[in-house]
Amino acid sequence: MAHALSADGWQGERRRAFLAGLSPALAVLLLITLVPAAALLVTSFTPLQLTDPSGTFRFDDPLVNYRQLLHDGRFLASIAVQLKLSASSVLLQLAAGLGLALLLNGKSRVLEGARTVFLIPMVLPPIVVALIWKIMYTPDVSPLHRGLEALGWPVRSLIANPDTALWAISLADTWQWFPFTMLMVLASLQMIPDDPIEAATLEGASRWQLFRHIVLPYIRPVLVVCALFRLIDSFKAFPLIYVLTNGGPGSVTEVTNFYGFIQAFNFSYWGYASAIATVMLVGVFLLSWLVGRLGWSDHDKR
Amino acid sequence: MTYELSTFDRRRRGLLQAGAALGAGALLPRLAAAQGGAKKFAGVTLNVSTFSAAYPTLLQRWLPEFEAATGAKVNFDAPSFPVYNQRADLELSTKGSAYDVVNVTFIYSSRWINSGWLTPLDDFIRNPNLTAADWDVNDFLAGARAPETGRDGKLYGIPWTAEALLTASSRFDLVEKAGLGFPDTTDDLVKVLRAVNKKERVAGFVADNHYGWTFVPYLHAFGGDVFRKAPDDLFPTLDTPEAIAAGEYYANLLKEFGPDGAITYQPDQVTQALKLGRVNFTDAGQLHLAQLGDPATSKTIKTVKFGLVPKGPAGRFPGTAVHGLGIPAGSKNKEAAWAFIQWALSKQTTGRAVAAGYGSPARRSDIDSTAFREKQVINGSDLAKLSLDSIELAAKTGHMKYRTVSVYPQVDQQLNKAIELIASGQLSAKQAFQQAQANTIAELKRSGAKL
Repeated sequence: MAHALSADGWQGERRRAFLAGLSPALAVLLLITLVPAAALLVTSFTPLQLTDPSGTFRFDDPLVNYRQLLHDGRFLASIAVQLKLSASSVLLQLAAGLGLALLLNGKSRVLEGARTVFLIPMVLPPIVVALIWKIMYTPDVSPLHRGLEALGWPVRSLIANPDTALWAISLADTWQWFPFTMLMVLASLQMIPDDPIEAATLEGASRWQLFRHIVLPYIRPVLVVCALFRLIDSFKAFPLIYVLTNGGPGSVTEVTNFYGFIQAFNFSYWGYASAIATVMLVGVFLLSWLVGRLGWSDHDKR
Repeated sequence: MTYELSTFDRRRRGLLQAGAALGAGALLPRLAAAQGGAKKFAGVTLNVSTFSAAYPTLLQRWLPEFEAATGAKVNFDAPSFPVYNQRADLELSTKGSAYDVVNVTFIYSSRWINSGWLTPLDDFIRNPNLTAADWDVNDFLAGARAPETGRDGKLYGIPWTAEALLTASSRFDLVEKAGLGFPDTTDDLVKVLRAVNKKERVAGFVADNHYGWTFVPYLHAFGGDVFRKAPDDLFPTLDTPEAIAAGEYYANLLKEFGPDGAITYQPDQVTQALKLGRVNFTDAGQLHLAQLGDPATSKTIKTVKFGLVPKGPAGRFPGTAVHGLGIPAGSKNKEAAWAFIQWALSKQTTGRAVAAGYGSPARRSDIDSTAFREKQVINGSDLAKLSLDSIELAAKTGHMKYRTVSVYPQVDQQLNKAIELIASGQLSAKQAFQQAQANTIAELKRSGAKL
């Protein structure tokens, strides 16, 4: 009994020591993550606007911004645009990243070189990527447009056409971020043990069957993680939209993030913009939770 | 190598400073006297911020002279226009002391001035100990001082640029070949564009897609307006038949005569397209248009022609814009800041800028000087006269008052969107302008404006 008590005491002491060691880091973490988030939430309950500082700590109608959001057509439309952009760009990135990873999965020097080249878009600063695509999408100076015209397939400006502007942004975003999926999938592919593949090959499995029944189940958790990361990041889309279309033509490329930016930085409605940001935050949490619940990333179920 | 470079750099800087100190004695005797002797501000650090433009660039180059004369150290930051505005708007709203001198941006001027975020300059100007006798505030155009003046009648900014929106034709030779003259009315403009569009692969018309600036002269010309009566009655009037007709007319210019992707053109793209002769007509600020007279980069210098914005059924209403230097209410170095503004906009400095090719001064003495007038005549068109006529017209009619009300940035956005929606075929002019009206009312209500 005494022995058990002393063990418990030692365990408890160890736990307390760990906690004491961790507490400074936890305090800093709380300070730099939770406090700004709380400030955002509190601001969203006020009518704060820069031209009227008296609204800073006014809480007489805390839900006014959220009520207005429900009737704000531009905000609701921005959510639809956001979902379209996020879904299309994430799917394209997964497809392109996976396809290229499968093609580049090998041990030759050429493949190694190619892998490095394909990583370039991801390491470029976002504003540089936006400028590259601004040139690509400006018919007068674009090598893309000129090339197509020389081939007899002239294409009108993609970013000035409301039917193509969002897809043009999605394509540029895919170009920048498919290397992320490619890199993750490549790493995962190189971890696949040779035995099951050899066994299946001996049994006469085709390349498609190998991919479908061995490779895909193995890399599926990585694909889910990539999708989740890219999905969360896609909600932060900004430089491409700012430089390429400024949310237009009209509002066809105005995503929620960009609309929040306009409310805060062009119109100075900080309370309203904070409410938009809060709704986005909740939306991203919900989406992440949903993706996690789908269970695709669960190793044990295989 | 690094050492050699840094030594060279130090020597060069030393020489520049010594030269500047010598030059400053000659250039700034009055300023120094008015400030109570040289080196009055030794130890003071001034933080100056404007957006990046020709005049601030010249000031940055001549800064060592001011520093040598006063002893103050100046940090001069000049980011791009939107970045500057966002940064300044935020900083001024806190009444913080991060900046000592700021640019008073035209569309924000009423918001910044009437919210009490800037310092009135009248006392500095009146004080003979702080301002040189010959500095002469009345030399700045009255039309340029008006937007820098608050409701209290006090002056909050000293204008460094007063520019007008003018019409330009980069390939006027094509117009002449068609047997037509420079379009004077909105009807003439369409007639001319029909005659020259796509001739020699030159598109007819394009404008900066900041339509809250480039479209408004047409809105006024058709008899419409942005508000019922700015600044007193801010009820928006974007759904009137006149506004809808103007929107349809203007969006059609872009749709029918614009180059591919016309609605994505930003100011520099417009200037470039005209310099290279890819597009014939535009409406743009004088500062941008003056670049068409640069023999090194403009291919259309021999064929360009400028004129006032076209007259519509209701008359002619050129757009004008004024930017000035002001002192934030929270600045802790107001006297030194005033010394800087006084130096930056003294007759000597503005005259020197004009001599260096600056194209948009706000001092009457500069505008009337032969040095300026000679440079502003490009292929026979006198840009300075056109600009002056526009500014005087705007001062007379008061039609630019819409632009300096505190909620204009909200309406500005709606106009940009409305023209884009019509030109890209998403909505009819009526639908687009009714939507702009409804959205503007919602935005203004959110701002607490009484409609």
